[in-house]
Amino acid sequence: MVPTSFYIFLAALLFTIGAVAVLVRRNTLIIYMAVELMLNSANLAFVAFARQFGDISGQLFVFFVITIAAAEVAVGLALIVTIFHTKHSVDIDAMHELKG
Amino acid sequence: MVAYWIFALVSLLMVLAALVAVTNRNLVRATMGLVLVLFGNAVLFVLLEAYFLAVAQVIIYIGAIAILIVFAIMLTRHVGDAWGPAFHRAWAWAVVVAGGLAVGLLFWIAHWPAADGKAKSPVDPQYTKLLGKALVAPDGYVIPFEVASALLLAALIGAIYVAWGGRRVKGPYPQRSEEKEA
Amino acid sequence: MTLPMSDLQALFPELALLGLLFVVLVVDLIWRPGRRLGWWTAIGLVVVLALSLTQALPGEGRTIWGGMLRHDGYGFVFRMLFLVGALVTTLLAMDVKDLGDKGAFYLLLLTSTLGMMLMAMANNIIMVFLAVETASIPLYVMAAFYPKDKASTEAGFKYMLFGALASAVLVYGLTLLYGLTGATDFAAVVEALQAATRPVWMTMAAVLLLVLAGFAFKVSAVPFHFWAPDVYTGAPTPIAAYLSTASKAAGFAVLLRFVLAALPVSALPWWGAFLAAMAAATMTVANFLALAQRNLKRLLAYSSIAHAGYILIGVVAASHLGVTAAVFYLVVYLLTNLVAFGVIVALESAGGTSEIRSLAGLYKRSPLLALFLMTAFLSLAGVPPFSGFVAKVWVFVAAVEAGLIWLAVVGVLNAIVGLYYYLVVLKWAYVYDTPEEEMARPVVVPKVQAVVLGVLSVLIVVMGLVFAPWFAWGEWAARALVGG
Repeated sequence: MVPTSFYIFLAALLFTIGAVAVLVRRNTLIIYMAVELMLNSANLAFVAFARQFGDISGQLFVFFVITIAAAEVAVGLALIVTIFHTKHSVDIDAMHELKG
Repeated sequence: MVAYWIFALVSLLMVLAALVAVTNRNLVRATMGLVLVLFGNAVLFVLLEAYFLAVAQVIIYIGAIAILIVFAIMLTRHVGDAWGPAFHRAWAWAVVVAGGLAVGLLFWIAHWPAADGKAKSPVDPQYTKLLGKALVAPDGYVIPFEVASALLLAALIGAIYVAWGGRRVKGPYPQRSEEKEA
Repeated sequence: MTLPMSDLQALFPELALLGLLFVVLVVDLIWRPGRRLGWWTAIGLVVVLALSLTQALPGEGRTIWGGMLRHDGYGFVFRMLFLVGALVTTLLAMDVKDLGDKGAFYLLLLTSTLGMMLMAMANNIIMVFLAVETASIPLYVMAAFYPKDKASTEAGFKYMLFGALASAVLVYGLTLLYGLTGATDFAAVVEALQAATRPVWMTMAAVLLLVLAGFAFKVSAVPFHFWAPDVYTGAPTPIAAYLSTASKAAGFAVLLRFVLAALPVSALPWWGAFLAAMAAATMTVANFLALAQRNLKRLLAYSSIAHAGYILIGVVAASHLGVTAAVFYLVVYLLTNLVAFGVIVALESAGGTSEIRSLAGLYKRSPLLALFLMTAFLSLAGVPPFSGFVAKVWVFVAAVEAGLIWLAVVGVLNAIVGLYYYLVVLKWAYVYDTPEEEMARPVVVPKVQAVVLGVLSVLIVVMGLVFAPWFAWGEWAARALVGG
């Protein structure tokens, strides 16, 4: 059986890749995908922990995270499409309507 | 031993696919990278004996979320072949932050109190049934389950509202009546 | 297993709200009542509020629904507060064009309120995450409620993007907490932490930083505040009002319970100092940035960040008095900020803008509105007869009692800086005359808005003069959380 720490290591690596991408990429669709990547890495770690503790109900947390990610993606992508219609760009630097 | 090889192969593939997903300038290729990561996650769920979640991962993440992302890319076309720099101006600053994050997280793993050790119990053959029962048990997860359904309804309404551009739907076939007026 | 009746009764406000949501949905589909849907929602909320106060009063705190939620005085005070916030927002938004006549607005508002109420009760990390998302996702859409308006879509979009990021970070933090303790229930988490045989401070630090980042986003504390000014400015004003009051209070509700019930300050020696530094930075940064603002909504955004800093002082103190002061502050702040934003709603619906300049000569154009503005701003500034003063004093007293005298001093200095920019706004409304004939027209305030703002303004003054009954509510809440 693969030790839990291997999974956690992989999850941490994926989380960091996602976090770097969120901070440096300009295309908001990519940024959004990177956030999904971060959520996924958390899911992986959670399932690994749940197996470690022999706690089946711990998997339900991941089930809820997946459900909510679906809701968030539906709203998020609708907003991205809307902003494309008003600005004709999904570049993060095009978001300059609100500056004080 | 087989499990180790599968883990090694899948995790290597996932990291590479994640790098493709976040560095590629072509949005469709990036999405395919993301799909690969999501699929790798499902494989690892199987390795972790979370069979139900593996199926849910494939159906929801790959079947619904990835497809939605592809749709969004199609609806925001012209962006696929992006112009200008792909990276934000403040990237150097961001790399420092993320580097700190990576070091912190990896250091944390080294110190994780129960990092090694075997699973406490083998998976119950009735596992999926138990999950299903826990989801609707009053002393289990029925409240989160119901709240999630309320949230999905609200998200549905919200997404439709935003995507429709706030138009008021008057009759059953709004486009047709608008065309007649025009 | 049969349905536990007492658990159902404890959840009465949420179930009633869900029922109201259903009614609003059906009424909107069948009759398309437009603006009148606001009355349906408002009356429904009043009924829910009244029935909850009589039917669902908690006695001794207890966990319900298998430990998912906790039914106690603390949660109850916040749940009623969110219902009031939703009610006021509904009444303010009703006469706003393209907002109050849309069914989707009321549905999203009610769902978000449901999520906030569950945030105040959550006793399990699964529930914390679900409740936070249920409160947030409708808010993303609400901020972008004018899909053809560039500023509004950008506000919603920014809020969504940062919100999604914050929730990813929060989930990761909660995952690590689960990995550390093997439990999702707050009580079991504390038990596991106390039973830990090996030092866990390293892991705890990672958990705390990640979870705190997630919550700090919700309450807009420095350095996770940067979204607030943009989102408040771009979002429709009644929604900005709701965001800056109920949403922030919900963030504090879950943060306070989490800090006190799952991760006590005593768990880590520097945890308290870290929170204190965050409070001081939040107050100072926000107050100085507010000085330079020319847009009223933007100014109020920075002011709301600064207030998050004052409330954090109560969280840092983490004592009976600290929690009491924080809860009392939140109640006062919610009412006051709703008035402040309500005045902008009224000005905008009369054709004005949210620029501070457009306030010129307000005392002539609408003496009533100018009076409401003065009440709200003097209370926000913490000037004596108003309730904002009492709230600030108690928060500072709690800091001194907890031995954090330096933090109280920083708070007082900040209050003085704050006083300056609030008074500048009042100067525009009361001293300056508008040179342009165009802007000198009298402002006609819709009746509903005038009545709501009037009632809230009276409350602000009354709560400042007779604060004991309201303070007792705060004490009731604190007793449920920290005992004593």
